Amino acid sequence: MSASQSHKAEGISDVERGLLRDSVREFLSKRWPSEHAVEQSGKADAMAMLWRDLAGQGLTTLGAYPAEAGLRETLLVFEELGRASCPAPLLGAVGANLALAGQQSNAMRAMLEDLHQGKAMVALALGVFDGDAAAGQVDCRGDALSGKVSFVEAAETATHFVVLTGEPAGVTVVTSGAPGMQIEVTPGLAVPPFSELTFDNTPATRLDLLPNALADIAWVARLACAGRALGAAERAFELAVDNAKIRKQFGQLIGQFQAVQHKLANCLISLDGARLALDAAAAARDNSNPEWHVFAASALAFAGPALRTVSIETHRALGAIGYAEEHEAPRHFRRVHADLVRFGGALGARAALADFMLGPAA
Amino acid sequence: MTALPALSMGPAANAFRKEVRAWLAKHWTAEKQAAHLRKPFKDRGYDNEFSKLMGRDGWIGVGWPKQFGGQGRSASEQIAFVTEVANSGAPAHAHNTSESIVAQALFLHGSKEQQDEWLPFIRSGACFFALGYSEPEAGSDLAALRTRAVRDGGDWIVNGQKLWSTGGDKADYMWLAVRTDPEAKKHAGISVLMVDLRSPGVTIRPSMALYGKTFSAQFYDDVRVPAKNMVGAVNTGWKVITDALAAERVMIGATRMAHLERAFDHLTEYLKTAVIGGRALRNDPVIRDRVGALAADLEVARQFQVRNAQLVEQGKVPIHEAAMGKVFTSELQERLGQAALDILGSGGLLSEDSASAPLGEMEQLLRHSIMGMIGGGTNEIQRNVIAQRGLELPR
Repeated sequence: MSASQSHKAEGISDVERGLLRDSVREFLSKRWPSEHAVEQSGKADAMAMLWRDLAGQGLTTLGAYPAEAGLRETLLVFEELGRASCPAPLLGAVGANLALAGQQSNAMRAMLEDLHQGKAMVALALGVFDGDAAAGQVDCRGDALSGKVSFVEAAETATHFVVLTGEPAGVTVVTSGAPGMQIEVTPGLAVPPFSELTFDNTPATRLDLLPNALADIAWVARLACAGRALGAAERAFELAVDNAKIRKQFGQLIGQFQAVQHKLANCLISLDGARLALDAAAAARDNSNPEWHVFAASALAFAGPALRTVSIETHRALGAIGYAEEHEAPRHFRRVHADLVRFGGALGARAALADFMLGPAA
Repeated sequence: MTALPALSMGPAANAFRKEVRAWLAKHWTAEKQAAHLRKPFKDRGYDNEFSKLMGRDGWIGVGWPKQFGGQGRSASEQIAFVTEVANSGAPAHAHNTSESIVAQALFLHGSKEQQDEWLPFIRSGACFFALGYSEPEAGSDLAALRTRAVRDGGDWIVNGQKLWSTGGDKADYMWLAVRTDPEAKKHAGISVLMVDLRSPGVTIRPSMALYGKTFSAQFYDDVRVPAKNMVGAVNTGWKVITDALAAERVMIGATRMAHLERAFDHLTEYLKTAVIGGRALRNDPVIRDRVGALAADLEVARQFQVRNAQLVEQGKVPIHEAAMGKVFTSELQERLGQAALDILGSGGLLSEDSASAPLGEMEQLLRHSIMGMIGGGTNEIQRNVIAQRGLELPR
């Protein structure tokens, strides 16, 4: 099934989605507990073990079998990864599954099989479809890839790279360690950090895909990351609410102060608004609504500023308690901002909406 | 054509939407629309004759249970209904309070006699209520109300003052919250009376509100109200008032949402072709950014309304969820009005009475937004509800 085909996942009920959420949350709480999340993020062997277990749960197939799990289920799993501060390379898996599922090439089928068994880990580079003009691009000539792409997550642990190309439109697969390929880690707000990938006549397996199918993969990636940011923002918010119920200052619980109550009420409005809009966008894609990109752009344009503000307000409500890197809140702050600024962020989503509402600018 | 893709609320609601649209096309004719627009702005939205026409054809009580003569439509269908009515611009304010608030309270707390007498009357489209809640010393703290009702034989005698009653000067009846036990704790001594505003001792003083329509103060001087017009038992009025609020908030939110979508459609339609000083507005990157942000907010506001409707359909009472929808939608109206003024510049300040106004409705939309943020409990009170009921933060 390629990205250009329909995306039915009609048989899944809200109850089943609830069960999936519970199951992923329970799994991550055991396998990626919050007290070890930061320490484990830097350990390749810990991630490899987790990845095999995630595959055992069937989560590395997300995107491959839409009748069994659609975009709503994908977002739900990303949300749980965000809550747990777990940087498992699911974005690459979903991208690979969307682009390559159903393809006949032996090499690609083998890679997907390894991915579904938890043996392969994929990093996804959207190139010209990224939405961020600074993300770079690569060109494919014959079976060789050249160019540079930035802001790629999970590159250091990846066994394969799925790289989208614009001219000609298609998807390429590169094996880690391939000749002419360099990975440079680019530290910053995102933890784990992004990487920059340089290709110089790097051998790649190539598949033609229509530009709209590639753009569709990019929309899914944006929504998935927004879902992950939602999970992170919500978890940090819960910590702030819990703190407001026990922390006393001036002889009373800080949650009794109207200034704190209204701040947290605003956060809940933003969180619920983002969740509802993301779910509506995912449902629109799952139901093959031809205008699903409008719902997707709406969700991203809202979630960007809304969830980043939740993240800021969470820290204001937590005070210095939440400022130490050993506290959970800072990792959520990083996640929320990194995920929502990527792929063109809110500005890009608003520009897309303006295109829908007013037509393209002259 | 709307700027945002239409929400699909399921096949039943979509089919019902078509039915409503067909009726409106037949009865809310171009001639009627033109005549309505010739009315002074303050009177628009109110048309007793059109209310009666809606009543005649069964369009009042669409969401009422069938046992009370309604159509028993789901919340999704009701949202489709109010959206279509609002989109058409048809006047439905006159009977709105009677249908959405008074009737809801009568279902829950009215006696059999009251239900038999008032519900068919409301359904006919000829019964026009306004709400008598706020007082000079009782706004956000509504339970501090002082208007007094004292029993005298078969009547209650009412003395006091009410404020800010929307449509109070156009209504025939007041849904009046009164204090019947001044010794009880403030929430426990309140009752609700249905008062005929033509009774001796009632003085109504309308004043113009910022949004261009009137609201009214009323003075009650020894007004006699038959005891049979008390809804619910004496001193249980607080429950009567609050029980009717949930369904009301959902429908009022949906109506407001539909008005906002309509205004946004008008704005984007205008922007597609507008040229000012040789500059096509649609190419301005700042304007495009604002339009994109508003479109996203509108979609989120719609989703809040859909969630509220779904909760009602599941038999739940959306309390903090309804408050979230109210806060978000009313503040979106303010943002939309402000954005329209920024985009239209000085021309945006002109009302529809100015022939050269680019979009005369926008300055009114902004003036109206204040009402949305204050009416039905200020947004600050709603945030208290969200914090204390939704997040269970301590009082």
